[in-house]
Amino acid sequence: MLATYIQTLVSGLAIGGVYALIALSFSITFTTTKTMNFAQGEFISFGAFIGVAALLLLSGLAGGLTAIPGEAAAGWRYPAAALIATVVAGVMGVLIFLLAVRPFAGKRGMNWVMSTIGFGVILQSIGLTIWGPAPVMVPSPLGDGVLRIAGAGVRPQELIVLASAIAIMVIFDFVMRRTRIGKAMMAVAHSPQTASLMGINVNTVMIGAFALSSGLAGLAGVLIAPIASASLFMGLGFALKAFSGAIIGGLTNPRGCIYGGFILGVLESSVGLWQAQWKEIVVFSLIILVLAFRPQGLFGHASIDKV
Amino acid sequence: MLNLKNVHLAYGPITAVRDASIEVQQGEVVAIVGGNGAGKSTLLKGIAGLMPVDSGQISFENNDITRMPPHVRVARGIALSPEGRQVFSDQSVYDNLTLGAYFRRLSKEALEAEIEEQFKLFPRLRERRSQLAETLSGGEQQMLAIARALMSKPKLLLLDEPSLGLAPKIIQEIFAIIVSLRKAGITILLVEQMANMALAIADRAYVLETGRVTMTGTGQQLLHDPKVRAAYLGVTHTAA
Repeated sequence: MLATYIQTLVSGLAIGGVYALIALSFSITFTTTKTMNFAQGEFISFGAFIGVAALLLLSGLAGGLTAIPGEAAAGWRYPAAALIATVVAGVMGVLIFLLAVRPFAGKRGMNWVMSTIGFGVILQSIGLTIWGPAPVMVPSPLGDGVLRIAGAGVRPQELIVLASAIAIMVIFDFVMRRTRIGKAMMAVAHSPQTASLMGINVNTVMIGAFALSSGLAGLAGVLIAPIASASLFMGLGFALKAFSGAIIGGLTNPRGCIYGGFILGVLESSVGLWQAQWKEIVVFSLIILVLAFRPQGLFGHASIDKV
Repeated sequence: MLNLKNVHLAYGPITAVRDASIEVQQGEVVAIVGGNGAGKSTLLKGIAGLMPVDSGQISFENNDITRMPPHVRVARGIALSPEGRQVFSDQSVYDNLTLGAYFRRLSKEALEAEIEEQFKLFPRLRERRSQLAETLSGGEQQMLAIARALMSKPKLLLLDEPSLGLAPKIIQEIFAIIVSLRKAGITILLVEQMANMALAIADRAYVLETGRVTMTGTGQQLLHDPKVRAAYLGVTHTAA
């Protein structure tokens, strides 16, 4: 029984790590630009397929339409593919900001919601033209065997996902709190106008925020692909759960979003252990409860300004 | 140093400042006084670049800066201590000051030395250096806002309502600091509802009424002008 619990906890934390990364990506653009990329799901899917393309390109192997050979992900190739997917998604993030967000940011109305959703639909159609609708099995760089930890079966990719997610979040936290650029991002998040009075180029920071946010989504796609299979339809579900994690933790608090993502992942896999069909019911009931009793999120704080 | 020619500023269809022509010479303290909603803060926002200028021209050190974005104006030497302080409440006093010098890319030692200078000027901030700005009192936040603006080593310091919402004793303290800044050679453009205090320390002043400059003169002239006394000094006298 203990083995089952450990197994559930590890997969919950791994999936939660992915939620946390994506939740963080929502928080990054929301705090700095007060907008969000509603095409984040498509960015995740795209990231996975760019990762797949990079794996095939780097290994010089021809992949089938439905499965990538295991050796394509071996050694340095998987990290390299992850980096490529992150960078490409980051560049796409700059594009979506310039084309679909900036024209509407800071203005009345929510035009950016529709324009980013539209951007996502376009991306998905392009993706379907290039890669088709079929899911692709992606190998884990550590193989697809099962590790035995205290009797529990753990997939090596789950450990990779968890370790990468934690490493990225620790680095992000350090950058935000300790570096000049991090403090500038916090300043823009607090007030773009006041930040500009510090000589901060607010527009550049906002572009950077979108690049970072989209890069994280792309990376999340590559990380999750060996567990969930790469599919152009996989992103939406992850993005929705991650967004819920962000709401639970508090959208304006990056650390809260990370906790929210992990909480959701563990909760989801624990409920799944008991009754799989109750997963979504429990998750979304929790969101409604949080919204009703703590609208700022579990870890969000209502800001107090002295007059 | 600073020259405004026929400047119009508007929030959408609502004109806030019309046809304002204002001049600030190097080394001067110039005050802009006027009632609530006269357009004083809007004028400073226009000078700092936070509001687009509808028509007219702003020049600084003989360069046209009318369309220059705010972060570039800061680098040219114009710093604004904004209305309502606007300190970064979720960051420490120290980090707020660091942000004030953001574009200057100082070395750690140089930054430390300049923050030390601000602590000499505002000793209360030294005690609070690692506290979050949101935990400061209103007066301390005002001091932080001024110190943060000074961290950019401005040639021209714009001060927007530094007395707003503060106790008389704190206001005296802040005005004493303004006088000492002027002695240190910083040119100051001061917007104040506390007309008596502002006029008392100003070399020259402008009176702004519903977006128009209606009077100008030396601080002393306006301080003793019967119209100004009736309109602005009677109301604010108790706080002096």
